[in-house]
Amino acid sequence: MNQAMHSPWTERLSPYLDGELTDVERVALEGHLAECAACRAALDDITRIVSLAPAYQGSAPARDLWPEIAAGIDRSREIAFPPAKPAAHPRRQFSLGHLLAASVAFAVIGAGAAWLAGREPASLAAGSPAVEPAVVAVSASAKADAAYDQAVLDLASVLAQGRGRLDTATVRVIEDNLAIIDRAIAEARAAIAKDPANGYLNSQVAANRRRKLDLLRRAADAVTASAS
Amino acid sequence: MPDRSNAAPGDGIQLVDTMLPDGEGLGMTAAALPVHAEQTDVALAVRGDGAAFERLYRAHVARVNALARWLLGGDDVEDAVQEVFIRVWEKLGTYSGDAAFGTWLHRVAVNHFLRRRERRSVDHGRTSEADQAMDSAAAPRATPVLRIAIERAVGQLPARARDVFVLHDMEGYKHEEIAGMLAIDPGTSRSQLHRARLLLRQQLTS
Repeated sequence: MNQAMHSPWTERLSPYLDGELTDVERVALEGHLAECAACRAALDDITRIVSLAPAYQGSAPARDLWPEIAAGIDRSREIAFPPAKPAAHPRRQFSLGHLLAASVAFAVIGAGAAWLAGREPASLAAGSPAVEPAVVAVSASAKADAAYDQAVLDLASVLAQGRGRLDTATVRVIEDNLAIIDRAIAEARAAIAKDPANGYLNSQVAANRRRKLDLLRRAADAVTASAS
Repeated sequence: MPDRSNAAPGDGIQLVDTMLPDGEGLGMTAAALPVHAEQTDVALAVRGDGAAFERLYRAHVARVNALARWLLGGDDVEDAVQEVFIRVWEKLGTYSGDAAFGTWLHRVAVNHFLRRRERRSVDHGRTSEADQAMDSAAAPRATPVLRIAIERAVGQLPARARDVFVLHDMEGYKHEEIAGMLAIDPGTSRSQLHRARLLLRQQLTS
């Protein structure tokens, strides 16, 4: 017997697998399956296709896309520091223009977080294409929080030990920016305490923690580079 | 499950046994990170660790690439895949941890590919179902034969059937969700899924 002769039954195999047949249809199909090896084989094949589909790993792109993605991630960062260069002078100096621009950005973030705390969540989505609707709060594991806190402590320690190698103006701007970030995080957390489900505020806390870590890493890199 | 011990040889069933083994050779063995390592990398990436995010990228890019080829096709698959990972990086702060990272990532990817496809159809006019067949010739040459077979089989499905199969059987969306995403009825989603499964079975046994 060929496939076509079984077409009415074959058409029911997939709905049968998903439990979509009526009781009458199901009983009729099961009666047919008991007698038809070809349809049983077809059902087995479809069952295996369905069971294997979720685990299919796909195939990687023909070339490595990571360089472009990394470049895109760098562009998406709000702070752009110049790459660390070998120390030409005993003390490292960041471009003050970069750091001052960052401090303005941080001040806006901090003020914005507090301002948004007083608004209805629905208003965040309207007219604000950069805000995703229905975002959920970040709930980092305690282990991840500990890892973050340790990373901050380690980097802050490097900066504290090596601050003498940095230009005083640079050190002041770094410390001012760290204070601005910490203030923005504190303001957002205070606002979250009043509105725990506000996904935007939670995302701002996560984003500002990321910025703090990034700033500390850059500063630590500069300290390390100045020692070489 | 009915017993098929009296199955007749030479009717394609043995070929299915060959073409669909228990997962080996189809790319079914997980190339992804162990769960614990992935959770650690996600936590690090949320805090700005680029190296951790790169590990996540490498663990998931193959599946995201396949989704892009199936749902989007065309010449902009690579651009779309890059956009997804950049978007995921930017949205890491919204990942709550309630679902597996891969599940969350795939949802971001699916939404992005469907939006991009919609924009493309608006810009260039609606394409016919026949025009949306995947370019199976773009499959990597080094890919195992069976992986090519299943990827080509899915890619050669009619567009709507392929969409529903990928979204339902591969990505786990419900028919009601798929109906909303594709602007079709749930009943149409069900019938397209059944059609896709039968066609896949025919292709893989032919």
